[in-house]
This record gives sequence, structure tokens and C-alpha cells, in this order.
Amino acid sequence: MDQVIQTFIIGLSNGLIFALVALGYTLVYGIIELINFAHGDLFMTGSMMAFFLISVTFKLTPATEPVTMIAVILLVIAAVMVATAAINVAIERVAYRPLRNAPKLAPLISAIGMSFVLQNIANLLAGPANKSIDNLFPTTNLLSAFGITAIAVNFQQAFVAVVTIPLLIALTWFVDKTRQGRAMRATAQDPDTAGLMGVDVNRTIALTFLIGGALAGAAGVVQILYNNVTVYNLGFRFGLNAFTSAVLGGIGNLRGAVVGALVLGQINAFSDRYISANWTNAIVFAVLIGVLVFKPTGLLGQQLADRA
Amino acid sequence: MSLSESGGQPVANAPLAPSSGDAGVLVRARGVTKRFGGLVAVNSVDFDIPRGSIVSLIGPNGAGKTTFFNMITGFYTPTSGSIEFDGHPIVMKRRNGMKSLRPHEVAALGIGRTFQNIRLFGTMTALDNVRLGANVHLKSHWWDAALRTPGMLREEAENREASMDLLRLVNLEDRAHAWARSLPYGDQRRLEIARALATRPKLLLLDEPTAGMNASETRDMTSFIRKLRAELGLTVLLIEHDMRVVMGISDRVTVLDYGEVIAEGTPVDVRRNPKVIEAYLGRGAADT
Amino acid sequence: MTTLVVKDQDPYGHGIGGWLSHVGAVIGALPGTYRRELTIHRRRTVLLTVLVILLVTYPILNKLFLAEFSRTTFPLPLPDDTVVTFMMIFGIMAIGLNIVAGFAGLLDLGYVAFYALGAYTAAFLASPHWDSVSIVFLANVAPGFPGIHLPFWIIVPIAILVAGTFGALLGAPTLRLRGDYLAIVTLGFGEIVPVVFRNLADVTFNFSLGPISINAQHLNLTGGSLGINPIDAPYLPFTNLVFNASSGYAPVYLGMFLLVIAILFARNLERSRIGRAWMAIREDELAAEMMGVNTIRTKLLAFALGASFAGVAGSLQASYLGATTSDFFTFSTSILVLIMVILGGIGNIWGVLLGAIALTYVDKTFLPYIGQQVQQIAPSFPNPAQFNFLLFGLILVAMMRFRPEGFLPNRQRAAELAAHTQADVEAKVDEIVAVDAEAEVEASIAEDPGIGLDNLGPPPGQAEASGDARAPETTDEEREL
Repeated sequence: MDQVIQTFIIGLSNGLIFALVALGYTLVYGIIELINFAHGDLFMTGSMMAFFLISVTFKLTPATEPVTMIAVILLVIAAVMVATAAINVAIERVAYRPLRNAPKLAPLISAIGMSFVLQNIANLLAGPANKSIDNLFPTTNLLSAFGITAIAVNFQQAFVAVVTIPLLIALTWFVDKTRQGRAMRATAQDPDTAGLMGVDVNRTIALTFLIGGALAGAAGVVQILYNNVTVYNLGFRFGLNAFTSAVLGGIGNLRGAVVGALVLGQINAFSDRYISANWTNAIVFAVLIGVLVFKPTGLLGQQLADRA
Repeated sequence: MSLSESGGQPVANAPLAPSSGDAGVLVRARGVTKRFGGLVAVNSVDFDIPRGSIVSLIGPNGAGKTTFFNMITGFYTPTSGSIEFDGHPIVMKRRNGMKSLRPHEVAALGIGRTFQNIRLFGTMTALDNVRLGANVHLKSHWWDAALRTPGMLREEAENREASMDLLRLVNLEDRAHAWARSLPYGDQRRLEIARALATRPKLLLLDEPTAGMNASETRDMTSFIRKLRAELGLTVLLIEHDMRVVMGISDRVTVLDYGEVIAEGTPVDVRRNPKVIEAYLGRGAADT
Repeated sequence: MTTLVVKDQDPYGHGIGGWLSHVGAVIGALPGTYRRELTIHRRRTVLLTVLVILLVTYPILNKLFLAEFSRTTFPLPLPDDTVVTFMMIFGIMAIGLNIVAGFAGLLDLGYVAFYALGAYTAAFLASPHWDSVSIVFLANVAPGFPGIHLPFWIIVPIAILVAGTFGALLGAPTLRLRGDYLAIVTLGFGEIVPVVFRNLADVTFNFSLGPISINAQHLNLTGGSLGINPIDAPYLPFTNLVFNASSGYAPVYLGMFLLVIAILFARNLERSRIGRAWMAIREDELAAEMMGVNTIRTKLLAFALGASFAGVAGSLQASYLGATTSDFFTFSTSILVLIMVILGGIGNIWGVLLGAIALTYVDKTFLPYIGQQVQQIAPSFPNPAQFNFLLFGLILVAMMRFRPEGFLPNRQRAAELAAHTQADVEAKVDEIVAVDAEAEVEASIAEDPGIGLDNLGPPPGQAEASGDARAPETTDEEREL
């Protein structure tokens, strides 16, 4: 039983990271109906950048003072988020916007191309081998303060939650409550009418990519600090899981993406533990195919007929 | 997909004997309703189309005419009701809801149609558009095609000839190898009809066939439709806004408004019907 | 008056005699139908003849002067025998994918799965893998040799069946999905199949139900990452001539033979009623359905037929190399074939063939050559050959942006791809003009949601709030007419 709970906790951490990436997929799909194939690789880029900053530029080690470490980590998060946001906006401008009137599958193919480009750039700059850093966090079990020793929640997992949850909340607030968020939702519903109502559609789409990119970057930083390892083709597995999360929750639906991600985090954790990591990807794909074939609107997606 | 009603045989090969009852009624629709969410587009419509007749379906914009067309052709599934074509049910009630034949099965039964906004295959030639229509009745399989068997070649030659005949019928045989989208508007409309005729229909649904035509083109189209009925024995259902056409060729007219039948009868009767007048004039619709 | 009747005839009679005369007529009819074509497209015929002669005589040309030329005058990176064989293999695959993506307009991102299935079919049926049995049938292997050994010319049809069946199985539930979702699902399948092959190398299970009890310990089903080898090479019956990686240039002829058959099949399908049905589906799927085309079955046919081509290619590859492993079959391979199709000219058989030849050359000869040169000049510089997909990714982005119809475009696809701007403008004007509430419903119902590789794609007129899901399969509300 303890093992189950432990697996569950691991799944939670995975799920939160997936959620950040999934939001990028679902936001972009909601607004321009594009499956941004390169998004997972953007996440990987963020992870790589964080690796570089942490281990080469700032040379953080477990022995670094906590205050410095926290400061540097915050700085890295901010820097990487800015960088990945900028890259995402640039990609949209170059690879997707010119294809906005093209048949639907042209931007998808273009996205696949961008995915390969990002992967290979990372491979070129960082080499094909895994890049690892030392675990920067103390390994104490946070739950031991409550007298629980059978299951563990360590600093890393707490860190994941501490970074991701505020970001998720901030995003939801942004989309629901701000003017730009409203513009995004309007453009997602009907770009032409939104345009007629004064919404700058191009800028809104760029903003969507910016936000999605920033979230992916944040997820990348969290990932390297959590898993301590990154590699140039990391984006494939995370992208697959994040996209499946978005589909599972109902593509276009923000809360659904988060719910789906949490579910997929569990699927990953339990599959890794109780079946074998060799099969996990195949299982996730099977989930994806299953959702698309049997319940394409996803868990939280509304049936069209329910519209009043 | 096969119908249990036709003994489990594929629809296209089912013997086309009408069921007991009116052999004279080609289409029988009863209580057909279509809801889109909260909007009722078609409300409990009863509709009969006698064999060999030309029937017009008229009504103000948004009355549900095209929606009704779409249900007859299997494109939409009614929320409730029944539709029977030549004795074969197009719409069936199943345990978990309504089920409709798929459009290609309806086409195989013998219903051909044209569209309100022309939907030709633009980058295919006129001839290919018409030949495509015949697909539903061709018998060669993909392996016959891959091997170019003599049977397939013969069928292709015959199809080509029959399609050229149809193009001749609509006066397009010298444009046979032009891309459909390069044809002028009137030609495209006639090409669409030729394509629909290639499916060898018993019932032809024409969705605003004279839209965008001037008076003489309209006259040509009207007499063409009459010719189709006379020489090919077709039954025709029209959606039309041009009252001259409606009055001129219809045997019967049905008027829809807000998805409901408000009048039905001969053109003369319908024209005098106060409800019809109110529906048109009262709502300020542009025509007539 | 017009005759709308297509006469039903069967002049060959019944029984064996009838069947034989039918076969005779088929064979007799074949050359005639091509002869006319060859004269009509004279320029293409000439170019093709040159290409065929080049391919057939390449080893002689090489020996006569190309190798010398390369050594003394200008260092040409010349493709070696293996590369030319792979040109044939990829050519077959490109033609198969062209049927799926080019003719029918379905994006298949998991094409490699069928390639793998073909390869493993050969591996299972022509190797000592199943060492507990010994079935030798018409193979040039001593009887009693462990494993199943069937000759290549029996394996190819089996591979066709296997790949085609899986294509149909995959397609049946998924072809009703919208284009981009279908692409993702095929991608999934393209991942799952190699993973299955990789992980079934050590299967242990115990199953007992009543009297039935199945016990397997460390059963090696698929060879895993180590793969299955050796695989019997194809051989010419009644001779000792084999066609494997150590046979020099001979396998190219075998590959060419299969490629020619593939081209003929694809060509015939294109110019038949099913080819027209595919064209119509691509252009306007809903209208095609209304005109009596069973769109689901027609798309399924494209999918299954395309898959079977990959099956042939896979069985040839595995028999040629004499080995197979799941490492050969990655997503990158699917994309490589897709690039061949896009670069060459989607929808155009000759275009994709040239794309296959060109890209195989670039990938397997030219880039490694450049890599070698770079390594010699600047050893610490990264080897370009390892970053071939950086180049290919850029090619994809650039092609989509600047020339999506490819270099040898199919005229129709080029027109379809250019047609969008106009149609989109018209669709938007329609929407703005509709004022009346009911008219607006009918008009928004009158918009085409767009399905498929090059269908019209104006934004949905009645999308729901962004919190809702976008159903990947169109429902009544989204559809138009």
C-alpha cells in the first residue's frame, strides 16, 4: 500500500510538469487548431537551457548556500521562461503564421519540421548523451516532520508543486479575468468576428504562443531540477504525455488539460513501476488513440449538443 | 452498412420493390423533426412526394428547407420521425437513438442532389465530375483497376460514353476536359445536375437550381427540369425562391416556415393561402 | 436519348476454361493500354527511359569511367550498391505513401509500422528464428534446418497481406477522425508497433484456464533490440544467384522489378474509378459522399493499399540485409518517406519516385560524404551526417512555406493548395452578410468545416466557448450543406 501511495506521489509530480506543457498544447490548439508538434521540444530546450545555466554558468552544487540557490533558481526560471517564450513567438511567426490560410495539415507538417530542427540543434550544441546535474535539494523526507516514515515527499517533489501550482493558477486567472485573456477566448471561438470587434488577432495569437512557451520553459526548469537529467530527445516523451493529457481532458479546455495531465502522471508512474518503463510510451499512445476513437471530446469537453 | 429491413443485404443490391402501400408515393416523411441543441430547425414535418411529380419546397430564408433536404439524403439524422424512400426506410429508430442511412447508401437507393452553393470537384474535369457520379453503380473492384482487366476497361469505356451523353444532355460536351471550377456559373450549375444524373437517381433534389440566373437562363432551366421528368421519368423535388419557376413547373408545393409546414397543395392554392402570404410579405422577404 | 445504363457483361463464361480465358485476356490487354500512354507523354517517357538505363547499367558505367572520374577529375560522392538498392526500397515506400497522402489526402505519420511489419514477416518466415520447428518449403535451404524457410516470392504476398490487414485494422476505427487527429493516431501506431517488436524478446507468462495451460519462459518472440538474423536472402529459382547485401548490384534489379510493379499498380489505381473517388474525397469529402462514394471504405482502401506497399519494401529490406531489428524502424523513417513525397511532389508518382531517389542519395551518400570531408578538415566540427534531420526539418518548414506542392507537382494538388485564399475570403463574406437569426443558423451550417489534407478550412462558424472541446470528428452541427 505504501508503495502505491509513493507511486501516486511520484505520479503527482510528473503530472504537474505535464500540466504546464499540456497547457501550451491546448492553448495553441484552441486558438488556431494546430497541434504544435514542436512544443515538447521547446520544453526540452528550456530544460537544456536550465541545465546549462545551473551547471555551467552559475555552477550550483548541493553545497551552495540555500539563499543563493533559491535566488539563482528563480533567476533561471525567469530567464528560461523569457527565452522559450521568445523562441515560441519566433517559431509562430516563421513557421505557422504564413500558413494560416493553407490546408490544415500544412502547419502540422511544418511543426514536425520545427520539432526536428529544435531537437537537432540541441543535439548539435549539447551532444547526444544525457546531461545530468547533481541533486540540489536535500533528500530529507518532508513528511518525517509529521512522524510519517513509510512514504516520502522530498524537497524536489515539493519544489515541483511550489512552482507549478502558482503558474497554473496564474494562467487560469489570466485567461478568465484579463482583457487579453478574453481576447484569446474570443479569437479561439471565432477569429473573424473577434477581429471585427477590435481584437488584434495576430497579436493575440502571438501572445498565446508567448504564454505557452513561457510555461514550457518553466516546466523545463522544474524538470531538470526534479529529474536531474536532460537529453536532446526529452521532448518526445514529455510532448507525447502532455498532448495526450490535453486530448484526454478535452482539447481546448484549460482545466481539462490539467486534469488530463494529472491522470497521465499517474499512468506514467504506475506503468513505470508495475509494468515496465519500456512499455510506458506505448501505453500512453494507446490511451491517446483510445480517447480519440472512443471519446474524442475528452473527459471535460462538452458535448456539442449541450449548447443552448 | 446493411438494413435489417432489407434482409441484411447491402442496400445497393436490394431488390427495389416498393413496400406494400402507396406504390405511387416515392418519398414518405412523417413527423420529421430536427433539433440543433435548443434550436428546432424542422418541426414535425409530414411530406409526401408522389412518383413522377415535380414538387417544390418553398419558404422564407431559414425555414428549414435545406435542413430537410439534408435529412432526406442522410446527411443529417432527424431527431425524430421517419423517412421512407421507394419503400425503403432511410431513417430508423434504434435503441440508443435515431439512425440514418449514410449519404452514399441513400445515393445508391436512387436519390441524387445538387447543392445550394455549388459543390463541384473544382480541380477535376467536367467529365471526371460526371464519371464520379456513376461510381455508385460501377462494379469493378480495386484489383480489377490495378490489373486493368478487360472487364474494368470495358466498364470504363461505357462509363465514359454514358458520361459524355450526360454532358451532351446539359450542353457541356465541348467543355468536357475543362476543370470544373473554370466553367462559368451557369455551366457549373448544369454540370452539377449532370453529375447528379450520373448516379441514376429516381428522385432528384435540386437546391435552388435557378439561383443567380437571368430570365432566359431560368426559362431554359425550367424546361430542362420538365424534360428530365418527361424523358427520364424522374421525380423532382426543388427548393426554389423564384416564384415563376415554382408556379410554372410544380405539380405540388409545400411551404415551410420556422421549420413547420404551413401550407401544401397545388401552386394556385398555395399562392392564395393567407398564411403563406403573411409568411412572405409579413416578414419582408425580398422575393416576388 | 441518353443511355444511363452500363451494361453488365461477362463474356468469358464460367468454370476453369472461363477463368483461364479471362486471365489470358488480362495479360493480352496489359501492354496495349500502356503503349498509347507512352506515345502521349513523350518527354516523360524519354526521361524515364534514361533513368532506367542509368539504373540498369550503373555498375558498368561506374567501372568504365565514373569511378575513374571521381578519383581523378572531381570527387563525386557515388552511391554504392546498398544505397541504390535502398533507393528502390524507399521508392516503393514513397509510392505507397503517395497513395495514402497524395491520392486520398490522408496524412499517415506512422508509415514505418507497416515497413516493420513487412520486415518482420520476412524475418519470421525465412530465418532460423523459430528454432523449435523446421519448415522448409521451396527454399534453397537444406531440409531439416531449424526455423521456417519460405522463398522470397511467397513471402512478398504474405507481407502484402499482413501489412494491408494491419492497415485496414488501424484505419477502420480511425479514418473518421479529422485530418490532424488521424495524423496523430497513425503516429501512435507507428510508435507502438516497433515498441511491441522491441519488447517481446523475453516473454514469460503462465496461463491456465481449466484444462488449458500455457506456460512460456523467456520466450523470444521478436528478437528485441538484437533482432532476428540471419534472414534468408532472396534467390533466383533454379540458380545459385542470391540478392543480399553481399551480392553487389544484383539486388538492385530485384528491387527495380518490384518497383516497376508498384508503379504500374499505383498508376492503374490512380486512373480508375477508385482513383477518381480518392480525388473527389480529397477535394470535397462531403460532396463525394453525397454522390454515392462510400468515403470510409474508400479511404480505408487507400490506407490498406498504401500499407501493403510498405510491407513489400520491408520484406525486401529485411531479406536484403539479412537481418532486422526494431532499431531500424523509428519515427524518423516515417518522416523521411513523408519528406520524399512532399519534396518530390505530392500526388505525382514520378515526383515521389524522384524524391525517394534524391533523398536516399542525400541521406545515405551525400551527407556522409560531406561529413567525411568536414571531419578531415576540421575534426572537432560536428559531423553533418549525424544532423541530417536538422536539414530535413528545415526542408519541411521551407517546403510548406514556399512550395507545398513539391518540385514535380501534380497539377491538381498545386491548384488545390493555391485555391484556399479565395475560398476563405468567400466564406468570410458569407458569414458577415447573414443578419437574420435563422438565416445565420443556415449560413453557419452552410460552412465547410474542412476535412482532409487539402480541404477548405475556414474557421468554424459556430465554435463553442474556449472551455469546450473541439471534437475531432465532425458532428451534425458542424457539417454543412
